[in-house]
Amino acid sequence: MTDATGGGRLVVDGLEKQYELDGAEVPVVKGVTFTIEPGTFTSLLGPSGCGKTTTLRCVAGLEHSNGGVISLDGNVLSTGTKHVSPDRRDIGMVFQNYAIWPHMTVLANAVFPLQVSAKRLPKQEARRRAMEALELVQLDAYAHRPATALSGGQQQRLALARALAHRPKLLLLDEPLSNLDAKLRDTMRHELRALQQRLGITALYVTHDQSEALSMSDRVAVMNQGRIVQEAAPRDLYYSPADRFVADFVGRVNMIPAVVRSRDDSGDALIEAFGSRMVTPCPPAIGTGADVTVTFRPESVRWHDSAPDRPNVLPARVARVEFLGEIVEYEAEVLHGETVVGTLVARGAPLRSPSSGSRIFLELDPTACRVLAA
Amino acid sequence: MRIATIIAGAVIFLLLAIPLAVQVITAFRGPFLPFGVSSAKWSVENFQTLWGLRDDFWAVLGSTAAFVGGSTVLSLLMAFGLAWVTVRTDAPMRRVISVLVVVPFIIPPIVKAQAYLLMLSPESGVLNQLLRLLPGDLVIDPYSFVTMTFIQALTNVTFPFLMIVPILTSMDGSLEESARVSGASWPKTLRRVTLPMLWPGLLGVAVLTFILGLGSLEIPLLFGQQSGKSIFALKLWSLISAGAGELPQYGLAAAWGCVFLVITTIAFVIYLRATRNAERRASISGKGFRPTVMKLGAWKIPVMVLVVVFVLLTAILPLFALLWSSITPYPIAFSFDALVTQTQFGSFGAVLADPEFWASLGRTLVIAGGSATIACVVATVLAYGIARGRRTGWSKAMDLFASSSVAIPAVIVGFAMFLTFMVINPVIPLAGTLVALVIAYSYRVSIAYRSGYSATLQIRMELEEAALVSGASPLQGFRKVVVPLLMPTVFAVWIQMFVLGTNEFTLPAFLATPETRPLSVYMYAMISPRSAQLYQPDQGAAMALIFTLLVFVIGYGLQWAVSLRAIGRAKRRRPLPGIGGTPVIEPDEPVSPDTRSVAAQDLADQRELAKR
Ligand SMILES: Nc1ncnc2c1ncn2[C@@H]1O[C@H](COP(=O)(O)OP(=O)(O)O)[C@@H](O)[C@H]1O
Ligand SMILES: [Mg+2]
Repeated sequence: MTDATGGGRLVVDGLEKQYELDGAEVPVVKGVTFTIEPGTFTSLLGPSGCGKTTTLRCVAGLEHSNGGVISLDGNVLSTGTKHVSPDRRDIGMVFQNYAIWPHMTVLANAVFPLQVSAKRLPKQEARRRAMEALELVQLDAYAHRPATALSGGQQQRLALARALAHRPKLLLLDEPLSNLDAKLRDTMRHELRALQQRLGITALYVTHDQSEALSMSDRVAVMNQGRIVQEAAPRDLYYSPADRFVADFVGRVNMIPAVVRSRDDSGDALIEAFGSRMVTPCPPAIGTGADVTVTFRPESVRWHDSAPDRPNVLPARVARVEFLGEIVEYEAEVLHGETVVGTLVARGAPLRSPSSGSRIFLELDPTACRVLAA
Repeated sequence: MRIATIIAGAVIFLLLAIPLAVQVITAFRGPFLPFGVSSAKWSVENFQTLWGLRDDFWAVLGSTAAFVGGSTVLSLLMAFGLAWVTVRTDAPMRRVISVLVVVPFIIPPIVKAQAYLLMLSPESGVLNQLLRLLPGDLVIDPYSFVTMTFIQALTNVTFPFLMIVPILTSMDGSLEESARVSGASWPKTLRRVTLPMLWPGLLGVAVLTFILGLGSLEIPLLFGQQSGKSIFALKLWSLISAGAGELPQYGLAAAWGCVFLVITTIAFVIYLRATRNAERRASISGKGFRPTVMKLGAWKIPVMVLVVVFVLLTAILPLFALLWSSITPYPIAFSFDALVTQTQFGSFGAVLADPEFWASLGRTLVIAGGSATIACVVATVLAYGIARGRRTGWSKAMDLFASSSVAIPAVIVGFAMFLTFMVINPVIPLAGTLVALVIAYSYRVSIAYRSGYSATLQIRMELEEAALVSGASPLQGFRKVVVPLLMPTVFAVWIQMFVLGTNEFTLPAFLATPETRPLSVYMYAMISPRSAQLYQPDQGAAMALIFTLLVFVIGYGLQWAVSLRAIGRAKRRRPLPGIGGTPVIEPDEPVSPDTRSVAAQDLADQRELAKR
């Protein structure tokens, strides 16, 4: 499989799915819309139960959607009424718990999609391609083992090989790394991304782990309660969350209440938070006097022993210091005079960290702050 | 797929519903057959007759309750004790004990009955002989009611034992440990924590054991006729085997059947509630723990003595009695003198030279094999369809129905099938054919159904979905993924049903003719004092031994053959780590024909469904 399989363009438009529960229809996916360009990697990110798996299964055709259109390279796969069965969709899928067939060998698992496809391949050719797929995931040496004699990570790779063996246009993955231990997860993350780029296959990846989504994807769509709340490149998502939910769900974040005091034409605003004045960029829709929430990441906070002669500085006292290895996280109580008016979380290099109980000054990088309507 | 499910459902429905319906109709239609005879008309006459003879009615009800209830309680106590010893204590040789408890399961009940008869013979019986060695003038009367109840209990211990072991095994020991840590003594923990937790499960076992006891004819037939007390199974049997010149009273017998059908239905409802409660109490948590083991200490010796006595009574002495009887020309007590001077081995040769022995053996294999195959195929298809399909009112009803054949005592099935074949005979002449027996034996579908259902739930949905997204059609997915994964279970159940079929006595007692009788019934005919063509006692015993040996060889041989295949795979196979380390399917080491239990499966299934 040295030649790139190439990928299809997936369009999901207004997808609806309800489950029947005790006679009532419970909507689980409520008008999900997104597009994946050929050869790119998109993650669906959201808390457990928000409908990611259901969305993915609708795309796979394992669930009948109740409305909306799903199409791959212009071929309509499903509408509310039409439904192309999974075996005619030209997709590959990796399940959360791999779904390796325990009664087959490694090779038999990988060759299966080639044996059952409508365009039947000659036996030798099917075998050759299955071996190629196994090579891709470095399992060719294990081809004749029973599939159950593989470790968790190997089973995961076999599931991937099986999903790729018939060179589908679209690869679907449902939390494929969640059953692996942390170290293996990191390695597999890189391997998976490298493989996807090399093959140029279109990938839709479901996860609740924000670091997975951010590190692997070209685009990330954040889902909440059956809706997509923001779709963006990882960096934009991280630094420009569209709302409080996204800000909170993607990474650690500080959210502080503030009031807009005045704004200028350049897009900056003067705001007041914790009794101190700060300057941050501010969306044009928010006017003077509005109550807002200012969000910023813990790592964009810097601390000083004495107040620097710059804006956006808050006096604070260190309440707690936690050593996490590569970084130190500390919780600081923001002071107004001697009263505590709020707490912030900040992160920094471990070699130079404040000590618990000491008085410090926190400086917020204005470019890292986002102002959201409260 | 859907169509296959519907067909399978219909087959099972007809198989169980028609005979019961015919029986109920017969009870309300006339003294003889309900259709095609001039006497047939709707009436409650049979129930009036039943009530008219109410002294007899109450007597039968009373002695049945005493006999079946008493033997159920006894065998539950023994089974619980033995299960506790093997699962929860540090008794030596626990594996051996459990094998010795389980193995007699495979001895045909009619053989056991005969063996006890020999063993208890006042003069020559080995047990009475042993008792004479003890001080005191202890002689067991084989035909007393108490003896009969005890023997029934002894022959049935394996069944509750097999169901109690998994319940005890899967009990979360930490619940008891926390009671102990809170300061409760062992007896107090048992009373306050263990038994309350186990009790719904045990109640379920009790109900099934009760129904099994109610339905079996062997012991009442061999022991009860002399005891003067009429047990329900015996009553039903004697009502239809009328003396010369009189018309058999099918209508009255059907009325009896209806009464007991109501009783077992109530028992089955209790069973269903009990297993549901067992789940609710979550006495079973099912994740990698071992139940705590109780140190026997000074109790070790008394416990082991009891175990040895049990094994003596259920396996060693009966087999010894058979063996001794088969090599002595007439009933004599065992002595070394007799061993030297009297023994002879001609009886085995005589049995083997009997053409009817071979013919009835052949029929046994055909009936057992045919019915096991039908039941397994139909039940597995239905189980798959229901376990995977949407849960609707229909599927729930069908699920209950297909599971319910355990709730119908075998005597009632035998009688109802007998009536049914008589009734349909003018249209479909099956009465007195092997086909009728095959159909009747298939009534035990619920064993195959429950196993197939559990096995389907064990196959995670994703395994099939993975086939679909790989481009396989649903049928291909079924053939290549589901069938191979279900096969080990289906084979194991097939063997189990096959062995049950070879041992079956009650059904053919009602249905077989001299031309179609299987080995069990032929043997009874040869040893029954009422029979015209009697074997010598030694030949009867020899036949019983050969019969037992054959069932052993066939049952364990088949299992061994299946396991050869499976071990080859299982050796290399480790359970797939699924979520939280749960295996994808039950490790498919061949389930011995007798190590699955309906109650334990019901519990497991409900747990599985609750997870969804
Ligand atoms: N087969 C089903 N029947 C009824 N409800 C379901 C079914 N599958 C999922 N749900 C419900 O739909 C919601 C979304 O589920 P899912 O898509 O699996 O979430 P996610 O993958 O984001 O964790 C959950 O509330 C879940 O309980
Ligand atoms: Mg999910």
